[in-house]
Amino acid sequence: MRAAAAARSRWLLLIYDGIFRWREASIFVVGVALVIYFALQNSAFLSTDNIRTISQYAAAPAIIAAGEVMLLICGEIDLSVGNTYTLAPIIMYTLYTTNHMPLVPAVIVGILIGGLVGLTNGLVTVLLRVPSFITTLGMSFLLNGIALTVSSFPQLTPGGSTFSNIMGHGDYSEIIWALCVIAVMQAVLSFTPWGLHTVATGGNILGSEEVGINVNAIKIGNFIVVGMLAALTGILEAVRTTSVDPSAGGTPVMFAAVVAAVIGGTSLMGGSGTVLGALFGALVIACLQDGFTLMGISAFTYSIILGAAIIVAMIVNIRLQQLRARSR
Amino acid sequence: MSNEESIDQLPKDHDPGRGFSRRELIRRAALGTTALSIPAVVSALGQNPGTADAAQSLAPLRANPYPGHPRWRFTFVNHVTTNPFFVPTQYGAQDAARLFNCQFQWTGSVSSNVAEMVNAMNTAIAANVDGIAVAIIDPHAFNDPVNRALAKGIPVVAYNADAPASSHNSRLAYIGQDLYLSGFKMGQRIVNLVGRGDVVLFIATPGSLNIQPRINGAAAAIRASGGSVHYQEIASGALVPDELARIEAYYIGHKSIKGMFAVDAGSTQSVGQISQKYHLKGRVKTGGYDLTPVTLNAIASGNLNFTIDQQPYLQGFIPMQQLFLYKLSGGLMFPSDTNTGVKFVTQATVGKYRRTTSRYEGSSPAEKWIH
Repeated sequence: MRAAAAARSRWLLLIYDGIFRWREASIFVVGVALVIYFALQNSAFLSTDNIRTISQYAAAPAIIAAGEVMLLICGEIDLSVGNTYTLAPIIMYTLYTTNHMPLVPAVIVGILIGGLVGLTNGLVTVLLRVPSFITTLGMSFLLNGIALTVSSFPQLTPGGSTFSNIMGHGDYSEIIWALCVIAVMQAVLSFTPWGLHTVATGGNILGSEEVGINVNAIKIGNFIVVGMLAALTGILEAVRTTSVDPSAGGTPVMFAAVVAAVIGGTSLMGGSGTVLGALFGALVIACLQDGFTLMGISAFTYSIILGAAIIVAMIVNIRLQQLRARSR
Repeated sequence: MSNEESIDQLPKDHDPGRGFSRRELIRRAALGTTALSIPAVVSALGQNPGTADAAQSLAPLRANPYPGHPRWRFTFVNHVTTNPFFVPTQYGAQDAARLFNCQFQWTGSVSSNVAEMVNAMNTAIAANVDGIAVAIIDPHAFNDPVNRALAKGIPVVAYNADAPASSHNSRLAYIGQDLYLSGFKMGQRIVNLVGRGDVVLFIATPGSLNIQPRINGAAAAIRASGGSVHYQEIASGALVPDELARIEAYYIGHKSIKGMFAVDAGSTQSVGQISQKYHLKGRVKTGGYDLTPVTLNAIASGNLNFTIDQQPYLQGFIPMQQLFLYKLSGGLMFPSDTNTGVKFVTQATVGKYRRTTSRYEGSSPAEKWIH
């Protein structure tokens, strides 16, 4: 009897230990609690239709957040991702219709333009020593103007059914893209020298330079990556909504990505972060947005509740992290 | 003022296979009938706190002719959920919800973000709501969600902004202002006011389906008039402070302009403010859309020659009414296109708008019989 009790408590200890060693545990717990709450409020929450809708809410912020996490870890931020998101599909559309470029190369060029935007952000921030907040803020206005100048009217997204289904229009294609990007970026962060150097740059930039890490290259590289991911997301969303719209995107998209990253456990101060956590963060926000709309909450009340829920989710997240730190 | 112009621009009937005859857009005469019935409905709803005459007590309507039914839930998907223009729309929908014992939800995007609106509509579809009213501000993005809703048996109507016929959107009806026609009439009025010379037409966000057709109509009317008036289209921006700055900057650069007009609420009130600031009354003709307090003051003082009321209260009330009757009659009462009006408001007629505050204009939450 005592042996059985000892075995049971050892299992519990292992589970407790396992959960709290896992750094994304806190946001995961918050997410599960929300799913349970909304499922109890409305049985339609767990229906196939709604799960697809939640995946569509979460995919775009998750992909951009994967890049923002890397950038936040090394101590910078990119506020122009929402406008890169707007510009990339417009570039793709213009190349396809005006320059008669085939569709797939046009998509690739669109993504590369996102990388170019990131490169510009990186060079100005690193070489000219402008704070990334300001650089990317200015870039966001610039991109907004360029997008409106190039194409002031919403247009029908081009592409046949195969292209559309793969590039965001298919039921789960966007979330599959998101999961792939998250997996790759988390692997880069955890298992490659690039990821290690990113963490080092964010944690102690002087020390990193001393040991020979090229911190400039790290930062510029991460800017390029987030620019390309924002461009990819813009194209996926344009295919999903079948509309290339110059008024799409903007600061709301950027905030959604940064909030997902921060709620997921990435510090705004730099030095630590998790891409997988950003995915959970995006899912938590998506559940909140979808769940309250499903319950029938109207827009004004919805804003109040969403704001409060984000703060509460963050508080719970931090408390669980503190518990985890103490239990070690 | 007759409504016979630009018939070819009216929304086409795109599903004749449904087996119903679509009524024509309700003309001004029919609109007059609708307008007459509103006071009757309002007086039926309850007391009027604004009336000083206590002897005229209004008996609220108690008898409900309709049988018991589930409290159906109708979701409105909007593009600028916090914009004060839509406050009377929400009041109209709320009043209809109470009248018909249904539920009303107001959701969508704060900043005309189409992806957010599509997400909100998808959520409503997943929630199996009983009806959806959506402001279709993008010609393509709402085709799939509308089709999915209809496939699930959820009726969908468009309000305030409609997809062009070329989009082949399957929404059952459009309730709102005939945007192109209103612009066309404004263009005709511009030609009458200005006579000859250069005018400028301001539009907040070019391409937006709730305002672009207006400027297209105005441009067409000006071109059709024979060439004595020349127009230029200028984008003024989505936010009111930007609009004011840009309109002022334009005027300073074009002081010989004969007319300044706008097709959205923010630009219209900014035109009125610039007219006042530079004492343009009489020299430069001005006008626009919607009834913000600044605009009403400008009309009263003569700084704006006219504005156009699209009756946003009706854009909330009538979709609810049509969706309710559709559900109650099992589809026998089918939603139909409704023109909520091209109503010009001038210095002669603006008085009542300024003297009263009511749910119809969004300026007060109190239920009133205005007389």
